[in-house]
Amino acid sequence: MRLMPSAIAACTRFSLAAMLQYRGEIILWAVWGVIYPAVAMAMWGAALHGAPQEGGIKGFGQRDFAAYFLLTMVVGHLCTAWDIYEMGYLVRSGLLSPKLLRPILPLWTSAADNAAYKILTLAILMPIWLGVAWFVRPVFTTGWAHLLLGVPALLLAATLSFLWGYVVSLVAFWTTRTDAVAESWFGASLMLGGRMAPLALLPLPLQWAAAALPFKWIIWFPCELLMGRLSVAQAWAGLAWQAAWTVLGLVVFRLFWSAALKRYSAVGA
Amino acid sequence: MFRHLRLIWLFARLGIQNNAAYRFDFFMRLVVSFVQMAGELVGLWIIFSNTRSLAGWNAYQVLVLLGVFRFMTGVIGLVIAPNMRLIMEDVRNGTLDFVLTKPVNSQFYASFRQIVIWRLIDLALGVGLATFGGLHLAAQMSVGRVLLFLLMLGLGATVIYSFWLILATAAFWFTRIDNMEMVFWNVFEAGRYPVDIYRPWVRWALTYLVPLAFLITFPAGALAGKTGAGALLAAMLVAPVTLLGASLFWRYGLRHYSGASA
Repeated sequence: MRLMPSAIAACTRFSLAAMLQYRGEIILWAVWGVIYPAVAMAMWGAALHGAPQEGGIKGFGQRDFAAYFLLTMVVGHLCTAWDIYEMGYLVRSGLLSPKLLRPILPLWTSAADNAAYKILTLAILMPIWLGVAWFVRPVFTTGWAHLLLGVPALLLAATLSFLWGYVVSLVAFWTTRTDAVAESWFGASLMLGGRMAPLALLPLPLQWAAAALPFKWIIWFPCELLMGRLSVAQAWAGLAWQAAWTVLGLVVFRLFWSAALKRYSAVGA
Repeated sequence: MFRHLRLIWLFARLGIQNNAAYRFDFFMRLVVSFVQMAGELVGLWIIFSNTRSLAGWNAYQVLVLLGVFRFMTGVIGLVIAPNMRLIMEDVRNGTLDFVLTKPVNSQFYASFRQIVIWRLIDLALGVGLATFGGLHLAAQMSVGRVLLFLLMLGLGATVIYSFWLILATAAFWFTRIDNMEMVFWNVFEAGRYPVDIYRPWVRWALTYLVPLAFLITFPAGALAGKTGAGALLAAMLVAPVTLLGASLFWRYGLRHYSGASA
């Protein structure tokens, strides 16, 4: 147990070095995360002109949308997780086997990859974000309390996104294919997580669905918090929700991991 | 001409045979396509529960556009992208020799030799969506509009084929450009909505730099009654010119090909 932190640090350094080799491709992946929010921003900007009432949609004007989607760029990037796309391949090809031989759970090496990717791409994304911010002139009503509470909210959001993505990816041990699951997961995070629209804009049935799922605590909550649209009490409540979903994720992972391993037969190895 | 059609039919049959071996895979693709479409429809629901129009497009007009978007995704995935990927690979490996020695026009063979048949799902879904949206615009529908739509679809497909051929031909000089494809799909994302929603300079770039307007907005606009004579004229001009340009560029590129590692 004492060795864990240094093992994870070593894994992260290793992934950093590996990713640095493929920096071109990595950067292209990261840029996708800029395109989607930018398109959503333009779309809602256009939608404002056709809105029934003058002066905004559910309290969002042009520059509020700019702020919100600028934040989804940042938060979306910090909450990137791709295990759900990868696990099926790892199980099918048997590439998971060498990872299982290590004295550390594959979950941790994935987490190290994940961290390395985010650190590396930050260098290119930071200037892009600043450029977009300068261009679209967002308005924030963020106070110090929002910023302070925003830090744990971001950390929990990134954890939540990675952890639940990993838990759901375990389906691969039973199905060996995760394409459909991954696509549904991704679609739900777009629509119900707040990437496509702030949750207040969703029709009621979709808001109920969003309330029952973890996605809104990954994107929507940190974004609205950092925009300064939530009260301190709402922020604490949100952090509690995030913590609860994290604990639940850990429990589900513990329950299913050993069962999943029993199913593992290294199909293609 | 007839011979070429027979060859395409042959390539399609080969595609079916290749795919038939992976039936579960086909089923999976079907599910994924439906999930994607469901997501797009939910997106439409969200948008139009908050607004009446998107840069002047109403819900059914945007539905037609979504249909065209899916249809074109299918067209690119069915024949354009896989063949262009093969060209780039062949150039890198020096195996393009096998294409050049075939007794048929090299551009034709290189452009159609692989057909990823399951992509027909996206074509079918796209046609379904566009038809559904079009039926709801029936009050203003006319035979002329449908014909204009089909013509614009054809012109759009021609433009995007030429665009990809130019990209693939660039491989003769740069060898490794598979990342270009990723750039393309990144930008393609912007075609989900009419280009009218963007600022003028973005709109310009999406029309003439990456021709998403010709590909998606103009054909959809033709059926939705949004595309005027200007766009039709532009498409009539741009499509043949890019096709000719791409074809000339391909021949010029071939002269630079030395069969590197063959």
